[in-house]
Amino acid sequence: MSKTSPNAAAQSRERRVWYLIAAVIVAALPLFVTDSYWRTNLIVCALNILLAIGLDFVLGYAGQLNLGQSAFYGLGAYSSTLLVLKLGLPFWAAFAIGTLMAGAAGALLSFFAVRLRGHYLAIASLGFAVIIYQILLNWISLTQGPLGIYGIAPPPTVAFPGLPQIAFGDLRNLFYLTAGFTLIVYVLLDQMVHSPIGETLTAIREDEVSAASLGIDGPKWKAFAFAVSSAAAGAAGCFYAPLVGTLVPDAFFVSESFMILAMVIVGGMGTLVGPVFGAVLLTILPEFLRSLGDMRLIIYGASVTLAVLFMPGGIVEAFHLLRHRLFPEGEMR
Amino acid sequence: MSSIVLQQAINGIVVGSLYVLVALGLTLIYGVLVQINFAHADIVTLGAFAAYGVTHLLSGNYLAGIAAALGLGAALGWLINAGIFVPLRERGSELLPLIATIGVSIMLQNAMLALLGPIPYAFDTPYSNQVIRLGTLFLTVQNVLIILVSGVSIALLYGFMKFTFLGKALRAVSQDRETAGLMGINPGHLIMLTFVIASALAGLSGAMLGPVLVLTPFAGTSVIVKAFAIVIIGGFGNVEGTILAGLLVGLIESYTTQFLDPGLIDIVVFALLLLTLAVRPTGLIAERREENV
Repeated sequence: MSKTSPNAAAQSRERRVWYLIAAVIVAALPLFVTDSYWRTNLIVCALNILLAIGLDFVLGYAGQLNLGQSAFYGLGAYSSTLLVLKLGLPFWAAFAIGTLMAGAAGALLSFFAVRLRGHYLAIASLGFAVIIYQILLNWISLTQGPLGIYGIAPPPTVAFPGLPQIAFGDLRNLFYLTAGFTLIVYVLLDQMVHSPIGETLTAIREDEVSAASLGIDGPKWKAFAFAVSSAAAGAAGCFYAPLVGTLVPDAFFVSESFMILAMVIVGGMGTLVGPVFGAVLLTILPEFLRSLGDMRLIIYGASVTLAVLFMPGGIVEAFHLLRHRLFPEGEMR
Repeated sequence: MSSIVLQQAINGIVVGSLYVLVALGLTLIYGVLVQINFAHADIVTLGAFAAYGVTHLLSGNYLAGIAAALGLGAALGWLINAGIFVPLRERGSELLPLIATIGVSIMLQNAMLALLGPIPYAFDTPYSNQVIRLGTLFLTVQNVLIILVSGVSIALLYGFMKFTFLGKALRAVSQDRETAGLMGINPGHLIMLTFVIASALAGLSGAMLGPVLVLTPFAGTSVIVKAFAIVIIGGFGNVEGTILAGLLVGLIESYTTQFLDPGLIDIVVFALLLLTLAVRPTGLIAERREENV
């Protein structure tokens, strides 16, 4: 109902302006960042944003604590790479299958989310992440275990007749590819959470029984939220493999799930823009703290704890508070 | 063949009884607070390192090391409850404290990594090399000590919960915090007591596990994921179920190592966890705690 109100129409227009600003930023970034080290960091940033907004969709909106994001990330990375290496599939076919496989695994895990809530789901998804990690580590004939897979090629060069070739070995093009994809996923998720789908998911988060009494099919929507969230992680994994060129199981240990969770919490759970800030901050900040060595992960942990204790709304809440302080009359809407 | 089966049963019970100690701490806290302390793992690791440090400083006095780990665990439990769980209690969220303690865990692990490095420490107690032979079976004195200490701790805890006034008050708080409060029990004090006991147990099990594990700053994580599996298989908040499930996981671990492949341990344990959750989410011994199921 709220869709037709003039206020909602204005907000929807405002969101479209922000999409455009984000697209301009993505387009402009490689012009200022020319150094290959920082371009690689930008791509890692884009992948972390993809992982974080995916997790926030299931955690912040549907209220399901999923600690299995590292497993879906790993599933996407390994399945797409192995499909290219072992079956000779083209990269984009492997990308599609890898993303779908991760999404399907997420929908499968939601079977537990239907029967369990809160802590039980957190531990079930953690258990799932441990199992996937151990399979990657121990199925040596397929994954080469701890030795890893080396020399993974970048996505194939795109060549349209009459246009210059786009080679993804070039970090600038790979950045446009990953950041562009992330932006598209962001827009899709943002449209979804501002549609009746988002209202349905928050209804399940707030009170599942009441939601069911309104005719909301909880299990179906949870499966949907899990599938979307894990497919986003799977897609990030498909990009991760050719970016790094190497796959080892340790990249997908359960601690990776905690890192993604940290990005969502520090940024602001339950808003899509929050995890974007969280992912950027927690990806770029450690680069500046590199001289501190192990200190940077201590700061990582501290930021999560302090955010929960003092600023549970994350960066987004801090921003709102600051705006209220600066413009107390509320002239900014 | 049968002696291998028996020998592995002993090994399984040794490791399993330590898992029980870790898991009991988790389940006690869950019982009174319905919260999970993720940093429980790091109390185990810190207990192991404290025992290592004191044992080496005091020229091989392992028992003093165990006492130090117990004390350090209790202090950390007090600190984590006062710093994280008390301030977050009025928010009433089940996820925020879990996430906050994940942050504490990342902090503690990396602080240990910075101070102690990633290379495993060789923790030999004076009892590791004394072997007792029973026919074809053999046990180190360390193993006997582990079974004794964990057996006595579990029995003491069980007796405390069942028979003392404080234990009854604890169970009252875990059944109904508000009514217990009306009966003149101070839930805040009892929750603190639970944290101290649970974390002391974690420190203690760290001291005992140190010589058995690969002792690195991440040692506790491999233990805690199994402890999570144990508390769920046993039924969260259920002491008897936790003891049974802990021994079961210890046995699964030693038999998987012997007959299959050590790499498959976590896969077997967590497959059992997911199976339990799918078939019997209240755990092996059912208890009325339906709100999460």
